[in-house]
Amino acid sequence: MKQTLASWEKEVIRCIRCGACQSVCPVFKELQAEASVARGRVMLIRAVINKDSDLTDGFREKMSLCLMCKACVANCPSGVKVDKVVEAARAEIVRKQGLPFLKRLIFRFVLKNRWVFNFAMRMGSAFQGLVFRKGPHGQGMLPRMPLGLDRRRLLAPLAPQSFRSQYPEVVKVEDAKKRVAFFTGCMINYIYTDTGRAVVNVLKRNGIEVVIPALQNCCGAPVRINGDYESARDMARANINVFLREQVDTVVVACGTCGLTLKEEYAELLADDPVYAEKAKKLGAKVQDITEVLVSLDGFRDKIQDEFQDKLLDGTQGKGLPFNTELSRPKSPASIGGGRQRAVKSSMDSTNIQRGLNPPLNEVSFKVTYHDPCHLVRGLKVKEQPRQIIRSIPGVEFVEMAKPDTCCGSGGSFSLYHYNISAKINDHKIEDIKQTGAEVLVTGCSACRMHIADGLSRQHAGVKVMHTVQLLEMAYEVDR
Amino acid sequence: MKQEIIQRLTEIVGQDNVYTSLEDLYCYSYDASFVKSNKKDLAGIAVYPGNAEETAKILKLANEEKIPVIPRGAGTNVSGGTISVGDSIILVLKRMNKILELDRKNLIAVVEPGVVTGYLQSEVERLGLFYPPDPASLAVSTIGGNVAECAGGPRGVKYGVTRDYVLGLEVVLASGEVINTGGKTIKNVTGYDMTKLFTGSEGTLGVITKIILKLIPKPEAKNTMLAVFSELEQASEAVSEIIAKGVVPATLELLDNIYIRNIEEYAKVGLPTDAEAVLLIEVDGDRQILAKQIDKIEEICKQSGAIQIRIAQTPAEAEELWRARRSAFPAVSRVRPTIIGEDVTVPRSNIPAMVKQIRAIAAKYKVIIAVLGHAGDGNLHATILTDETDREEWSRVEKAIDELFIAAVKLDGTLSGEHGIGRVKSKFITLQTGEAGLEIQRRIKQVLDPNNILNPGVMFGK
Repeated sequence: MKQTLASWEKEVIRCIRCGACQSVCPVFKELQAEASVARGRVMLIRAVINKDSDLTDGFREKMSLCLMCKACVANCPSGVKVDKVVEAARAEIVRKQGLPFLKRLIFRFVLKNRWVFNFAMRMGSAFQGLVFRKGPHGQGMLPRMPLGLDRRRLLAPLAPQSFRSQYPEVVKVEDAKKRVAFFTGCMINYIYTDTGRAVVNVLKRNGIEVVIPALQNCCGAPVRINGDYESARDMARANINVFLREQVDTVVVACGTCGLTLKEEYAELLADDPVYAEKAKKLGAKVQDITEVLVSLDGFRDKIQDEFQDKLLDGTQGKGLPFNTELSRPKSPASIGGGRQRAVKSSMDSTNIQRGLNPPLNEVSFKVTYHDPCHLVRGLKVKEQPRQIIRSIPGVEFVEMAKPDTCCGSGGSFSLYHYNISAKINDHKIEDIKQTGAEVLVTGCSACRMHIADGLSRQHAGVKVMHTVQLLEMAYEVDR
Repeated sequence: MKQEIIQRLTEIVGQDNVYTSLEDLYCYSYDASFVKSNKKDLAGIAVYPGNAEETAKILKLANEEKIPVIPRGAGTNVSGGTISVGDSIILVLKRMNKILELDRKNLIAVVEPGVVTGYLQSEVERLGLFYPPDPASLAVSTIGGNVAECAGGPRGVKYGVTRDYVLGLEVVLASGEVINTGGKTIKNVTGYDMTKLFTGSEGTLGVITKIILKLIPKPEAKNTMLAVFSELEQASEAVSEIIAKGVVPATLELLDNIYIRNIEEYAKVGLPTDAEAVLLIEVDGDRQILAKQIDKIEEICKQSGAIQIRIAQTPAEAEELWRARRSAFPAVSRVRPTIIGEDVTVPRSNIPAMVKQIRAIAAKYKVIIAVLGHAGDGNLHATILTDETDREEWSRVEKAIDELFIAAVKLDGTLSGEHGIGRVKSKFITLQTGEAGLEIQRRIKQVLDPNNILNPGVMFGK
């Protein structure tokens, strides 16, 4: 990771100021001021590098108004890494001016020290009822009193018992065909333990042994994104040590942000570290999103592709199909006769599980839509895998929403500091979800899940929100 | 800026629609051109009016106080036409973003200036209609900016440019008076053609607050082909021959060897890297005639010596051919950090001569200049690949650009096909207009904007 802001000059001058970022920046869409779009941020950073400007309060404010959603990066004709540059600017601010007290406390004392974090979360779990009340439809909770949070903000309650404390370090299966380590991340550990449980159950069902190292800590993304590289590096080293100790080829994540942090950001952060640079790369190469792991299992088939193929062979829809796709691969024995879905219920006995992720076992009759988390789709480049999984579940009607990969407005701590803008961005997402008529919104990131649930509650939309693996878990467990 | 003026402007547009912080104002000191105003040239305020009435009030105040006003849309122009000039008002029209009418019976759209061109196009196309001008920035640039700059685009060869679609305007003058030009009819010879005068006036004569646009029926279908030539002259001859034979493609894009090599390296689209020219050709119209057009073009390209011809059989294949063109920019942006796109334009038949000139200029000043052109209309984008932090190289780049302009005019061309004169090319304008030609334009400006508050410095220099 480059040390100073000035070292990013070569990157910022690659911005040709074409303004293409205006068409994709969610913050700009709301604010419309030139300083609130990627081009503006990059130019302001350039002004600081050129000493035309300083690290003023105004500069700090503009730098904080970035969701780190990478939409501008993906859309930039010159490929300017705007997110990295903004992060470097935030780091420069921290380096020169230090962290505000609350952030310092949270980043350097709580997140960095697992036992403090654990203790705080246990206390929080016990006493949260005093400061929060239940949200509408029994989902989530709302602040009872001013906390520096917006009082309309629906937060998910802390789980009574953290995820990691509910499981042994090794979740064994008989005749395991694979062994993976699970990086839980904080939100799954302390809030959405149901997602964590689904990850473990689904992996178990597929004959995979899951190691959940007890000593893992926060991935460090919130710390790094806010510019505290020092703490982020410490946290990276700690996690690298913990996970490289395990005898596994794969480290599974169920959160795009944690995943990207482990897979790529550690190596960037520690590029100059003589010991950890290599280790970070080694860990990075093992990281996979849970949906990547599942679709790569032997026996997993994409339902859509199979249906196409059935139709091709039936001769009912040969004309007008695109050529040269995977459609021409040989038909698998299981799907001959089109009886795949009918065969589903009979495959409930556990012997079949070893064949990998067979078509999931039971019908789940939901209309489902999917939201692409920024760091999953543009970070880990995971786009098709969750859709393949959702579509492969019998009974599910999958509807794509408009612009599924537009940011939900969460941006992690962005939603705490800029709740109004964050909520406005979220309104568009909620509208797109409503348009689909879906009963369930599936996504692959806990922060998105919380923010979208908040938006749905504000707009009184009765849509359930869950992680992709939870839907899959339902398909395994329903009727049991 | 005086606090009192800021106060009065705030009263006109509301607190939420003014920006005065240093950081905000800094972001109006540049646009998509390579000029940038100095720190001392930061504006005093940026205001976002919501309608023509507010715009009129702002201009009246500015005129009384003799404060420069810089009208601005998305700030995507590449001629330095929307940057701050010291204690000035940046007038951003983006809040005025409504499509007021889409009239199918009369094939007309009435829009506010802040409507994004690409959005207008998609709305129009939903009704089976078509608004053809397609500047590269259309996903973000505003229709008001397109009219003020008379934007073009690849489809110019067949469909013309923005000017050809503007039927009427509502314009706020520097005095704050509001006038209407043209109207909703195709034929209209009442008085001087003021609509054409304001179109392409680059914000120097008035502020456009409403636009009446002509629409046409949407072409039924399109098809794409790609032809590779070992010599540039062959490609150029093919272009002339295609049009002479009565086939007018919707786009005719030319890529030179520097682009070809970089695109191939970057995107692996299967182009021979020793080829001197690639033509990407798109035809559109009734389904029945497309195949015939393609056959004709194929034959002409073969006769002109094309070494490779690829014709898309499916939309996916067409997409693949366009991928070469779309990769052009990212491909060359890896070469050097700074990219400057010029847009000198010459009569079609002079393209080979102009490209030769560009090569000679590049060699003389030891700079990299790639050429990508809308070959059908002679509009060449000479793309200078450089590094703006290298001062010595930068001075050579500036000299090279100066010579490009002179060369284009000598070849019966123009300084700018579609980017505008702005602040970048004002010192060259008399090369083309002559002294008397410029003087008469100056006098027109004087009548409409006696205090020279509207975009001062643009077109006429300082």
